[in-house]
Amino acid sequence: MTSTVDIHSMTRRFGRSTAIDDISLTVAGGSICGLLGRNGAGKTTIMSIIAGQDRPTSGSVEVFGERPFENESILSKISFVRDNQRYPDNYRLHHVLRIAPDFAPEWSDDVAGELADEFRIPTQTPIKKFSRGQLSSVAIVLGLASRAPVTLFDEPYLGLDVTARVRFHDTLLRDYAIHPRTVLLSTHLIEESEALFDRVVIVDRGRIRVDSDSEHTGQLAFTLSGPSDAIDRLSAKRTILHSRSVSGLKSVTIQGLADADTSAEAVRLGARIAPATLPELVAAFGADTPETRDIKKGAVA
Amino acid sequence: MSAVISTIKLHLNQRRVTFIAPLSIAGTVAIISVLISLVFWRAGSQPGSAGWIQGSQSNPGIVYALVGFLIYAGVASVATTFPFALTLGATRRAFIAGTLLWDAITAAYIAIIFAVLNVIELATHHWGVGFYIFDIYVLGAGNTPRLLLIVFLGVLSALTIGGVFAAAWVRFGIRGPQVIAVGVIFVLGIAAIAIVPDAAAIIAAFQLWWLAIAAGVVIMVSSIGMWLLVRRAIVR
Amino acid sequence: MFTGESPIFQQLAAKIAGDIVAGTYPEETAVPSASDFAVFYTINPATASKGVNVLVERGVLYKKRGIGMFVATGARELLRDRRREEFRTHYIQPLLREATVLELGTAELHQMIDQPEQDQA
Repeated sequence: MTSTVDIHSMTRRFGRSTAIDDISLTVAGGSICGLLGRNGAGKTTIMSIIAGQDRPTSGSVEVFGERPFENESILSKISFVRDNQRYPDNYRLHHVLRIAPDFAPEWSDDVAGELADEFRIPTQTPIKKFSRGQLSSVAIVLGLASRAPVTLFDEPYLGLDVTARVRFHDTLLRDYAIHPRTVLLSTHLIEESEALFDRVVIVDRGRIRVDSDSEHTGQLAFTLSGPSDAIDRLSAKRTILHSRSVSGLKSVTIQGLADADTSAEAVRLGARIAPATLPELVAAFGADTPETRDIKKGAVA
Repeated sequence: MSAVISTIKLHLNQRRVTFIAPLSIAGTVAIISVLISLVFWRAGSQPGSAGWIQGSQSNPGIVYALVGFLIYAGVASVATTFPFALTLGATRRAFIAGTLLWDAITAAYIAIIFAVLNVIELATHHWGVGFYIFDIYVLGAGNTPRLLLIVFLGVLSALTIGGVFAAAWVRFGIRGPQVIAVGVIFVLGIAAIAIVPDAAAIIAAFQLWWLAIAAGVVIMVSSIGMWLLVRRAIVR
Repeated sequence: MFTGESPIFQQLAAKIAGDIVAGTYPEETAVPSASDFAVFYTINPATASKGVNVLVERGVLYKKRGIGMFVATGARELLRDRRREEFRTHYIQPLLREATVLELGTAELHQMIDQPEQDQA
């Protein structure tokens, strides 16, 4: 499959701090890719650079084979509303909906109108006075109605009620069926959005820790929980991503796939063993354990 | 090119700010001027007398009121509009080009409105009762071509000055405008030190077109400054 | 809807297969498209396609060009045979293992199966 977004050895420094540390990432056309990780991991910076709002200190970013920075034809194919998006003074919803189509060749008034209604976005209130959820709603309307070939959602769920979240997923998938596009979505609501992704990228401290088909994330790590001594014995000589314990009980997330012997041993010792869920995986890679290693695409350790 | 036009439309999106606000501000000032004139009238000054005309024509209130608004509009045209324009998909190039064209459109619009009102003022013998609102010294004392030039260059200067300060803020945060302000004061200080010995001669030789040249320089410097500051700015 | 135990595409395939066995989708009638499944279950479209394709490969579903996916003739039989085989491995074998642990004899098991009502009480 052709890649739509191609990031190569990209680094972004802000003064002395390194926000993005030599990452490479390609996103295939038509993919709905989850960009996961803790706050400050670098998710917004990656999106911002893809959208040409920022540019790398070194390395390269290409969208449809061209660098997006100051590239008008590429920028018209990208939609990115950041989680703290600012709007011009005194703007109301109708100002946004009136001007956005000028910059988005594929804009759909129907999608915008329906969503704005269903999200109950106030029409008379200045955007400056919007609640967090209302701001998220405006961002989702812009992202979905633009039908941009590359659509970036930066924490789209912040403050959004459950009805709106369901509506967002529904509209995304319905509209995607008629107008396929490449979607990159960052979120902390992993359980709720997990089934949307065909691809999962976990970022921490500016580096890509996991890059995997969503189908295979269950093989990247497993969790063991039970009596501390049993867990210690089972996890000896293994790469522990994350561990926590409370009075004699311990739970660890271990990198790799649990083989049959380990499973049998765990059952024998009275420990519970299960593939790590995606939230567990994200939590594990966000934890400050020195042993953590990167898992490359499709890798099954 | 299309993104330049789209950026102009983005600035014109809030039609009230672009088209109505300058007029309502000018209108408010005009009413205040009339009220002040009435006070003078009640105090014994005679409409049409030399003193009356002198006093009325020296009142630059309309200019002060507009300059404040226009600088704000110039700041807003870059400060909060830049991140939104980039979100929509404008390039920095298109954004600055569109913003400067919008500045020019706004300047021309206000100049033309003022010129029309000036012509009406002159034709109606100062609204029939001797009120001087547009026929004032700072706007060319009734000379319509001169008023057009003064208002156009004045508005454009205010908008681009606001724009360049906002561009510095977009690029460098709060320190940006501070650095520009310090720089301007520094340059003016140096200029004053250089000029003061010859000040009398310079004032004696003063020609009105010097101001036009000065405005042109300010507009050029501000515009180039906007571009240089924004061309590498990132959205935060 | 879907659990984290196995890949979603497999769960979707199992769900559609289950519906075919239950008679929700009779043979030679259309099933919803992969896109429809994606929207309905709020899952990734590529994942949904993969789930549908699992059944196409097994000969349960077939594609009518330009119309959509249809349930193949004999699909129900095919799935039922497969499910019967699975019934043995998924239900009977664990049941027998557990019975051995609990020291339940064959006769007692037969009695439980013949008179299920008694045990529910």
